[in-house]
Amino acid sequence: MDQIELKENIQADFPALNKKILKNDLIYFDTAASAQKPSVVINELSDFYLNHYSNVSRGVHTLCVEATFKYEDARKKVQKFLNAYSENEIIFTKNATESINLIAQSYYQRYLKSGDEIILSVMEHHSNLLPWYFLRDNYGIVLKFINIDSDGNLNLDHFETLITKKTKLVAVTHLSNVFGTITDKKLIEISRANDLHILLDGCQSISHIKVDMQEIDCDFYAFSGHKIYGPSGIGVLYGKENLLDELPPFLGGGGMISEVTYDGATYAALPNKFEAGTPPLVEAHGLGVALDYVESIGMDKIEQYEKILTEYADQKMADLDFVINYSKSKNKTSIISFNLNKIHAHEVASFLDVEGIAVRAGHHCCQPLMKLLNVTATSRISFGIYNTKSEIDYFIDSLTKCKNFFGVK
Amino acid sequence: MSDLLKELYQEIILDHGNTPRNFGKCEPFNKSADGHNPLCGDKVHLTLLVDDQNIIKDIKFTGEGCAISIASTSLMTQNLKGKSLEYANNLFQDFSNLVTGSSDELQIITEEDSLYSLKGVGAFPMRVKCATLSWHAFKSAIDEK
Ligand SMILES: Cc1ncc(COP(=O)(O)O)c(C=O)c1O
Repeated sequence: MDQIELKENIQADFPALNKKILKNDLIYFDTAASAQKPSVVINELSDFYLNHYSNVSRGVHTLCVEATFKYEDARKKVQKFLNAYSENEIIFTKNATESINLIAQSYYQRYLKSGDEIILSVMEHHSNLLPWYFLRDNYGIVLKFINIDSDGNLNLDHFETLITKKTKLVAVTHLSNVFGTITDKKLIEISRANDLHILLDGCQSISHIKVDMQEIDCDFYAFSGHKIYGPSGIGVLYGKENLLDELPPFLGGGGMISEVTYDGATYAALPNKFEAGTPPLVEAHGLGVALDYVESIGMDKIEQYEKILTEYADQKMADLDFVINYSKSKNKTSIISFNLNKIHAHEVASFLDVEGIAVRAGHHCCQPLMKLLNVTATSRISFGIYNTKSEIDYFIDSLTKCKNFFGVK
Repeated sequence: MSDLLKELYQEIILDHGNTPRNFGKCEPFNKSADGHNPLCGDKVHLTLLVDDQNIIKDIKFTGEGCAISIASTSLMTQNLKGKSLEYANNLFQDFSNLVTGSSDELQIITEEDSLYSLKGVGAFPMRVKCATLSWHAFKSAIDEK
């Protein structure tokens, strides 16, 4: 297989990758949990605090102007990156979890009543379950779950059977954080044909595949900046402008109002209506810089490169008869969940850690899914733009060493 | 091969991890508790029979988890059976010190004791919870009135 070059010496852009674990070079296979940061992002955070810092939108002095400009410029960058129609469709939050909670609460108030139905899937992250459980527990909203097939694809035939006249919204992952499965476009078509609103959890898709809001045509899309090489503490909610306009605010406070009296308040226009309090302004700027960095490489190239890495790892793992690979979809990328025969995922993760390889072990915030798979935990590798085939080779050798260490046949 | 891993996975740990002792449920029992590590999904269910002299007559467990958590539970049951609750409380404190790297403060556990084999966990901070899960379950079983 050809080694396509993503960017010359890309690992040098990520200072954290220089770290040694004991005597071994760090191999970071945990990007799905959070990505490492390029120097440009790290330096821009410090430059903001050193030279341009103040609160946003609340003063006329020079620093306030500079800070506000950077914050709003980040919004433009997100809009462009997502190919959203308008900047008003980009709401800054602290993470995808907050974005989804915002939609759940505001959407309920505007559109739902007891007995109405929302469709999720059996492979959602807890962050796309709990906000809806709150609606079920507090307001009598009915939740239904789309099954997956044995390869970890959403079963769209099953999806269709779940839809009734009371179904208002479907909220599912755009790319599974356990299997790496990319959600089929047909889900959107079916939803549109049945007049459902659509929320996609974009936490994983944002960094692994090209996403274009106008082309995908979902109503809401949530992601966290830290998964796409940006800082922690910044998230995004994308929503179609006409819908966001109709939704009531989520949190109340400074910055989201138009006029306040002792009797009440009127709210600011989009996007400020949903941004109560001092926002994560420096982090927003950091996210903008991260998106610039990603764009300088190109999402198309990244998508292609990571698919090649994934296929390569898949094949190598298939050669090891003691490896159980749970990520079986043909339409997947960047994420592989697996177990070694008769060895608990914790043992695998600790063993690999000592080898220098960072992998995740556990339920990946998908406890119901683990139950469905009939496992307590899996190990998971996930790739980012800085990973290479030779790292995968080293990982494969380490798996064999791990098996031998624990003496499993 | 790393020495840290050899320290962590001593023969006795792998042995107890693969073939845990006192696995099952006490019949009868008068104390019980569940331990659950929500971060990784490991689970343990403990049952105990404690007599009116506060002696642990029997102790058994079921559950699922990694080798460290199963071995730690198995060794715990072996070390507590026939002992008083007062001794158990002191051993609990000692064991916590052992696996969090404060082994110079040990009162009861010596280098010859089977529990000492879990000392290697100290080098893996994220695994301390695996080793202490069942001990915390034990604590809540006996503290429950
Ligand atoms: C699919 C998916 N949804 C939601 C989340 C939650 O992201 P955050 O914790 O940044 O809000 C994650 C991250 O783990 C994820 O992978």
